[in-house]
Amino acid sequence: MNDSETRSTRLQKRRRSSVGTRETPVKSQKTSPKALIVDNGAYSIKIGYAEDSEPKVIPNCIMKAKSERKRLFVGQQIEECRDCSGLYYLLPCERGYITRWEVQKPVWDHVFSKNVFPIEDNPVILTQPLFNFKSIQDCIDEIFFEEYEVSSLFRCSPSDLTYLNYAKHKQTKNDACLVVDTGFSFTHVVPYVLGNKFLRGIRRINVGGKLLTNHLKDIISYRQYNVMEETYVINQVKEDTCYVSKDIKKDLVKAAEPYKLNSIVRNYVLPDFNLIRRGFIQENVKTELNDEDNNYQILRLNNERFIVPEILFHPSDIGIKSMGIAEAIVDSICSCPQDQRQLLARNIILNGGNCKFPGFKERLYADLRSLLPVDWPVKLYLPEDPITYPWKGGGKQELALPINEDDNKMEVEEENDEMDESSNNLSMAAEDVDSEKGVNKRGRRTKVIEEENVQTQNTVENEYNIFDDSEIFPFDVSSYL
Amino acid sequence: MPLKGAPRGSNRIKDNEKRRVIDDSQRKRRQRKFMELLESDNYHEDPHADLVMSKKVPKFDNSLEQRTSRNKKKERTVDYYQFKYRKNFQQLVEDNRAEAELRNCPSYMDVQCKESQLPQRRFCAVCGFLGPYSCLSCGTRYCSLKCMGTHMDTRCLKWAS
Ligand SMILES: [Zn+2]
Ligand SMILES: [Zn+2]
Repeated sequence: MNDSETRSTRLQKRRRSSVGTRETPVKSQKTSPKALIVDNGAYSIKIGYAEDSEPKVIPNCIMKAKSERKRLFVGQQIEECRDCSGLYYLLPCERGYITRWEVQKPVWDHVFSKNVFPIEDNPVILTQPLFNFKSIQDCIDEIFFEEYEVSSLFRCSPSDLTYLNYAKHKQTKNDACLVVDTGFSFTHVVPYVLGNKFLRGIRRINVGGKLLTNHLKDIISYRQYNVMEETYVINQVKEDTCYVSKDIKKDLVKAAEPYKLNSIVRNYVLPDFNLIRRGFIQENVKTELNDEDNNYQILRLNNERFIVPEILFHPSDIGIKSMGIAEAIVDSICSCPQDQRQLLARNIILNGGNCKFPGFKERLYADLRSLLPVDWPVKLYLPEDPITYPWKGGGKQELALPINEDDNKMEVEEENDEMDESSNNLSMAAEDVDSEKGVNKRGRRTKVIEEENVQTQNTVENEYNIFDDSEIFPFDVSSYL
Repeated sequence: MPLKGAPRGSNRIKDNEKRRVIDDSQRKRRQRKFMELLESDNYHEDPHADLVMSKKVPKFDNSLEQRTSRNKKKERTVDYYQFKYRKNFQQLVEDNRAEAELRNCPSYMDVQCKESQLPQRRFCAVCGFLGPYSCLSCGTRYCSLKCMGTHMDTRCLKWAS
């Protein structure tokens, strides 16, 4: 297929192939196939079938080890690697967006292979980053429809799934909520208002776990040993030792104490991939490194423990001219319809690996408290596992969650409906609609919600587009900053 | 895990160079290089680079064959997608901006956070504690004579050129 072909001929082809290649009509099947939910993060893929209680978390990369020159490690195969020192990463994404298909495609081939998570007739729910670029969407569609021959594909952002999961949790779909997703590549703040994303309220901070790990590598390399090649190990050091400070000035004072009195400092035993497979914090912090310790390589982490995650709250600490996470939330809330703002402030959901730093939620709460008006209640919701929370929103139950009984009825009736027709409709739908509005290819059951969403989206946008910015701001934001 | 002993880059800078002052545009370039560093996937060469030209390049474990009930004819090489869809990040952002403008909705660039209104905090680049002083040559923050010395000996003008 070359570039000169129009989209419509391609669409026809796609439709023909989805009808023509199916040997047994889906109609004859008694149970509809379970959906395969794929939260395709730039660092890890969270994947599982709709009825699984937990997804499997698979690294979204290909790795090369110094010690094993005869093979590559794709995804979770890295567990078979004996020596992870100097691991070389081939990552599919650039700033969170897939640009290296030579990496993403083999990882997907592996992930969807027979012994991992095969796609048979399963509808696929695949996450993509917010504002995913069009040519990336086209490539995803081509791979899934033409090559993997999926019956239907629904692309949405991880925050959409989070929203659905939260709506289920709250038993309502109309409440506004604000999703904070702080992952590997960046941090997003996404407000949901009247059942859909409020596009003009979305904010992105170009700080994520990758930058934090690289920064930690840089300062350790400058202050102690050269660990620039040890991404795998230093990422674990970050996960094991870093935390978000409640009060950075106080913690800096504590960290400046001599080691005997210092409650911040930790000695971290680095793995040697012989006796020690994973690094760990040395239990009783020794005041002096003695001869015994020569058996291990030890890193000493002091103010690094909290200075590194601080970048999420103050990107300007390392010269990034951007608001931090609390400011971004306030800015996002203030750009939303006035009558929704207080509601947003008390429905904030925290997602992504960076939320796992101890103290993250408490600090964010304190910062928001100081930035928002005193009479606004602020509530943060940190799920038990902020990494798999979006995936869990993709489950059948959540996606099929309608608000009223009519929709429920519709869902039951259409449960065993034939797929051919709907996949045609869906291919078509995908060409016509804006994926940013959360509408896309997917089985009929979710289409119900999608159509509703389009409507709400239009209402919201129309209703509020007539205001200019000055009218939406009820109070001078800068006075709170 | 093999670690190389010495901290990175400790080539002493000659006295006359110490007094060189780098201007604003050089400082910005230095900051940009630093940001690129923080975005890098790897800081070392591909350990299998020497295998690339030979037949020893490891192959994927035939995962394609393991896929069931799929039409083999439809399989495409990775090069096909890479060739057809490869765009650099700047192109993607530009396309997105143009498209968003047509539809009058926010684009990737529009949702990027504006500059912070909070006061800038200053940390010593050497030890990480508060750094009230700044280097006359390059503007890097430091906290004490000791840290200033270390800075001068190591990174001061290292990334300036
Ligand atoms: Zn210092
Ligand atoms: Zn300097």
